[in-house]
Amino acid sequence: MAAALLEQVINGAMTGSVYVLVALGMVLIYGVMHVLNFAHGVLFMLGGYLCHFFLTRLTGNYALAVLLTMAALAVVGAMLERGVFRPLQGNLRNQVIASLGLILALENLAVALWGPNALQIKVPATERLVALGELRFPLQHLLIIGVTAAVVAAMFVFLKWSKVGTALRATSQDRNAARVVGIPVERMDVASFALGTALAALGGALVGPLFLVFPQMGDAPMVKGLAGILLGGMGSVPGAVVGGLIIGIAESVSTLFLPTDYRDSVAFAIMVLILLARPRGLFGVRARGEP
Amino acid sequence: MSVLAVQGIEKRYGGVSALAGCSFEIPGPGIYGLIGPNGAGKTTLFDVIAGNTPPDRGRVAIDGADVTGLAPHRLASLGVARSFQECRVFPEFSCLENLLFSGRRQGAGQAEARRLLELVRLESYAEQPAAALSFGQRRLLEIVGTFMQQPRLLLLDEPAAGVNPALLETLSQFLLAMFRERPSVLLVIEHNMEFVMALAGEIVVMHQGAVLERGTPQAIQASERVIEAYLG
Amino acid sequence: MKRLVALAALVAALYAVPALATPYLLHVMVLSCLYAIPAVGLNLMLGYTGLVSLGHIAFAGIGAYVAAWLMVDARLGFWSALAIAVAASGLAGALIGAICLRFRSHFFMIVTLAFGLMLYSVMNNWDDVTRGAAGFPGIPRAPGFTTLESFYRLALSGALLAFAIQWRVVRSDFGRILLALRQDERLALAKGVNAALCKTAVFALGSALAGLGGVLLVSFLRVAAPASFTLAESINAVLVVIVGGAGSLAGPALGALLFVALPEYLRVAAEWRLVAFGVLLVLITLFAPRGLAGLIAEGWRRVARRSQ
Repeated sequence: MAAALLEQVINGAMTGSVYVLVALGMVLIYGVMHVLNFAHGVLFMLGGYLCHFFLTRLTGNYALAVLLTMAALAVVGAMLERGVFRPLQGNLRNQVIASLGLILALENLAVALWGPNALQIKVPATERLVALGELRFPLQHLLIIGVTAAVVAAMFVFLKWSKVGTALRATSQDRNAARVVGIPVERMDVASFALGTALAALGGALVGPLFLVFPQMGDAPMVKGLAGILLGGMGSVPGAVVGGLIIGIAESVSTLFLPTDYRDSVAFAIMVLILLARPRGLFGVRARGEP
Repeated sequence: MSVLAVQGIEKRYGGVSALAGCSFEIPGPGIYGLIGPNGAGKTTLFDVIAGNTPPDRGRVAIDGADVTGLAPHRLASLGVARSFQECRVFPEFSCLENLLFSGRRQGAGQAEARRLLELVRLESYAEQPAAALSFGQRRLLEIVGTFMQQPRLLLLDEPAAGVNPALLETLSQFLLAMFRERPSVLLVIEHNMEFVMALAGEIVVMHQGAVLERGTPQAIQASERVIEAYLG
Repeated sequence: MKRLVALAALVAALYAVPALATPYLLHVMVLSCLYAIPAVGLNLMLGYTGLVSLGHIAFAGIGAYVAAWLMVDARLGFWSALAIAVAASGLAGALIGAICLRFRSHFFMIVTLAFGLMLYSVMNNWDDVTRGAAGFPGIPRAPGFTTLESFYRLALSGALLAFAIQWRVVRSDFGRILLALRQDERLALAKGVNAALCKTAVFALGSALAGLGGVLLVSFLRVAAPASFTLAESINAVLVVIVGGAGSLAGPALGALLFVALPEYLRVAAEWRLVAFGVLLVLITLFAPRGLAGLIAEGWRRVARRSQ
């Protein structure tokens, strides 16, 4: 029993890590631009596809392909911010609707370009198994957890101690004050979007080898990531990390006593519960206009 | 039985005390100026009276009936109307539509709306969306809208703020004309001393969340306590 | 008067379509009507009141499954099942709406999204009642409306009823209140509007209309499947409303027609159609926020001005 639980906890930590990557990207964009980017899931998906593309067409090196994917999608993110979200600044409804349009366009673009069938990212780490006691996990599992942990640590250092990171934090706290002290607020918007997109892309590239690459692969992670930032607290970066992990682990552990069909519902149920019981989440600060 | 009775109102926001034992009574119709330094709690008091926020303690009564903590729309149906510091109108509605909406519970018709628009010299804007008006004109529209509700108690929050001197005169005249037509209680928060002292029959001074003093404009202007509150 | 005559002529022409159309075109027209009905409900909520619900189609699902269960398991007649199912969707809208409406902006959208996902999960997993992912088969067509031509007339009648309701609401005092709520809720409250009650009422009405669309859809398809009521479908509904023109009377019809009919006519592959719609949605929010209806109205105005 304990072994089964541990197995699910580690599985959950892996899927949770993916949710953390998505959640981190979303919370960064939300914090700085006050926009909920529902299109984050399709950016995640494009990360998977681009990684496959780079791996098969450009380089046989997985790590390099992942880095290229992050860079490429960071550029895409910057373009989306400039072209779509900046003109709609201040109009929340239209920004959300535009992000819905992006979901439709990009998801179906993937189908149109690569077909509806799933692609496989062949990476040796999925075949190599690592033993933990009597349990066996693909190396990729642990790679995901490890890379995410490293990214989270890097994010903390970046936000707390670097100049740009501090500027991002300042902009998210008070846009006008940030402007007054000379922070180029528009550049912060682009930076947060590019960075957030890169994180989503990383998620897609990491998960691709394990679960295949297909057009809808970003839908569930987007919602789970959203659940994660709700649980953690809308503007909170540590909240996104804690929230994403809890969602992942709760989901996996639930398969021990609920039919696996209901796995996805765990995240939805948590979302509804949090909204009803404590809308500001675990670490959130109540902002203007929120219940 | 007073038209408005405010008793012992307390309101805190986090660690800040906005209202600390605010009490006063308004016996009958009149134009009352509500003044005081920034942070005195004037707008918070309006928010409490108009139902936008419940007090932590205390009681608000209108014509003797306890209305503490009632929702804004209930208070509106009891005859309370207010304008907002930031000036609120329905931007997509035309001026006429704005007024007709304000007066719909009283069954006020187009004729009345147009008459009031003329009084503030906005009749040529009747069919234009409110968003097309200048700030001062929108302020006038907002205030005309409150009168369309035919209120017993009208709370005006800094009506003169941001309005240029020419329109201020129109506003003054309008308020006096409306008061003469249908005497009610007008409670006016203002920082523009010239405007409010000329308009009001009585002045209530607030300081640090409570009523400091009240009296005629002349008495208040001469009061040392009031001057000290502003300067200190 | 001229407008009334034109409208009557349009309605008569629409009813006469089966006489001239191929089965394929009729099929497309039926789908357009079935997309338009929930879109009218969402238009009242989103277009007129400003409530961005991302779970609207889940209420179509409630209507659909309630009707399916009533007709197949409880052996109730079509019309009774329809009435009860629509009432059930409306009631669900009132209850769920009351919860969702406690939240503002971002949170409202997320709550409606979450409820939509939960309802989908129930449809997909509660095998005993909903028959699970495969769907609820054996749903009959309405008696007397079993052929394609006759079902088209039924669907058209449903759509016209929805538009008539929309027109009535928009022209009423309640309609003014919805517009006021969309522009400035705080101000509306100060003017005596019971915002919570009115928003719940429009949420319930919108959900009931979605339910009507859902019942007709599954009667048409003869099966109620969760795949018809996914998040993607809720997003499509938003698209139909926005592209058609949110807050305009004709918007849902224009949006539904464009969404269903035009690409079928152009014979493009389904994916490229949806790519185009996604891009169109982005472009509309950037450059033509009043949607197709707004563009057409602007076009009319220019033509009228030029002819003077």
